[in-house]
Amino acid sequence: MRRLLPVCLGLILSVTSVAAEARPLTDDGRLRFSGFGTLGLIHNDLDEADFTRDISQPKGAGKGWSARTDSLLGAQVGYRFTDQLDTVVQGISRYHDSGDFSPEVSWAFLRYRPDPGVQLRLGRLGWDVYQLSDSRYVGYAYPWVRPPVDHFGTLQLTYIDGVDVTFKQPVGSDLVLLKLYTGRSDGDVFIGKGLEAHFDVDKVYGGHVDYETGPWRFRLGYTEVESNIDFSGDAPDQLDAQFDQIRAFDPSFDLTANGVLGSSFGFDRLKLYSVGAVFDRGPVQLQAMWNRSKTSADGAVDSGFVSAGYRIERVTPYLVYSQVETTSDGEGGSEGDFKQRTYSVGARYDFTANMALKAQLDRVHVQRPGFLWRDIDSDWNGGWGSIFSLGLDFIF
Amino acid sequence: MNRVQRLLIASTLSATLVAAVPASADIAVVVNAGSGIDRLTRSDVVNIFMGRYRKLPTGNVALPVDSSSLKARFYRALVDKDLAEINSYWARLVFSGEASPPQQIVSIGDVHQLVIQNMNALGYVDSSQVPADMHVVLTLSE
Repeated sequence: MRRLLPVCLGLILSVTSVAAEARPLTDDGRLRFSGFGTLGLIHNDLDEADFTRDISQPKGAGKGWSARTDSLLGAQVGYRFTDQLDTVVQGISRYHDSGDFSPEVSWAFLRYRPDPGVQLRLGRLGWDVYQLSDSRYVGYAYPWVRPPVDHFGTLQLTYIDGVDVTFKQPVGSDLVLLKLYTGRSDGDVFIGKGLEAHFDVDKVYGGHVDYETGPWRFRLGYTEVESNIDFSGDAPDQLDAQFDQIRAFDPSFDLTANGVLGSSFGFDRLKLYSVGAVFDRGPVQLQAMWNRSKTSADGAVDSGFVSAGYRIERVTPYLVYSQVETTSDGEGGSEGDFKQRTYSVGARYDFTANMALKAQLDRVHVQRPGFLWRDIDSDWNGGWGSIFSLGLDFIF
Repeated sequence: MNRVQRLLIASTLSATLVAAVPASADIAVVVNAGSGIDRLTRSDVVNIFMGRYRKLPTGNVALPVDSSSLKARFYRALVDKDLAEINSYWARLVFSGEASPPQQIVSIGDVHQLVIQNMNALGYVDSSQVPADMHVVLTLSE
């Protein structure tokens, strides 16, 4: 925080003086530069567990104040070769799986648009697995301090290295959109104390159909993720040590922690089904989404949220309800499963045309603690917690 | 009443008066008079300016241009949103590499220049001031 704060403040001061649109850096407008960022503060009142924004964050916001969870900075450079061909490179610095704010390239693609109805992109692409998922770090683009954690926090990947193709077709005054994509990826997921899963994704592929009519945007999506999972941390180390002791007596014993954990979690093959709807007309913003992710071990993650906002002059108050539940055998909650729901109330204040101040209160009801929390007290069975957040979002 | 109070009341009154005066005219969405485009529907114009689908009835790719002086009035009339909301909308599309906002042009003279040079350009002007070499494809009432 101490290092990030002066950088962000300097940036904010410098962005107040420039226009909000991407600025052309060359006279012909071919080269453009733009960026986004969030300065976020969280107050957590829970003693028993630390709050995270998503499962890629190794540490959470403990009791008291923290600026680590939501603060981030992103920048984009675009270059247009011709009207059909352009390239975009985007980087982001946020608190992520390496345990620090080390910047990473989140987008880097070459785009070909032979026709307004066809787009082909090749390179590193944001993971567009459900509505808003590929722009979930662009705080200025949504009313909330952060996208509902119950729904977006369980996503395993942020980007894919591959290709996507989008077709758009007007139907009367409506618009139908089909997007297909495939690629490779990798990412780290923190499951619990001393247990981390590294996803080496051989193949991720999927697509979605969007239907836009008037103020409505509907989406149906499906994705499969095939990975080699490598478990690490104290838990698999201890398990392997026990297996080694058994092997000392019985050399034919061939279990490994990786194998045992792999088959019990079933992360090697995930199937994600999602539906979403967004309504955006004048001052009214409504959103509803639902997702079911199935593992190869018959487990599932079900999540969803509904959100409503209404803009009054420069202030947009909003309400959100979200929930997430894991089931390890398709039979309902058991010991190792995770279940919580969140009621949020907040407001976004657009005090200039390129900066917004937000305040949000989340009342989280943890019914069974799990992998969206860090440093969980071993005797904690869940309960109500309050997360209060302040955010300053900007674009430049 | 002290001076500060009087100033406050005066400024409130003048703001109320300005707000009460009806807008001078509607906004006309214009193309080159020789472009071959007769009319566009409101949803065509929304699709083009909001980056959803930028194909003209002629089959060409539309080139929308925003003019700074009328931008706030235009988007209020088109989608009932203010400029912060329009910027927020574009932040999602730009930083997910989906689409780019219209070209931003400061002076109405430059918008005029671009529209008369480019058959695929779409701009907007105050409907009481449509130049003779431009053709109105849609009028947005304010």
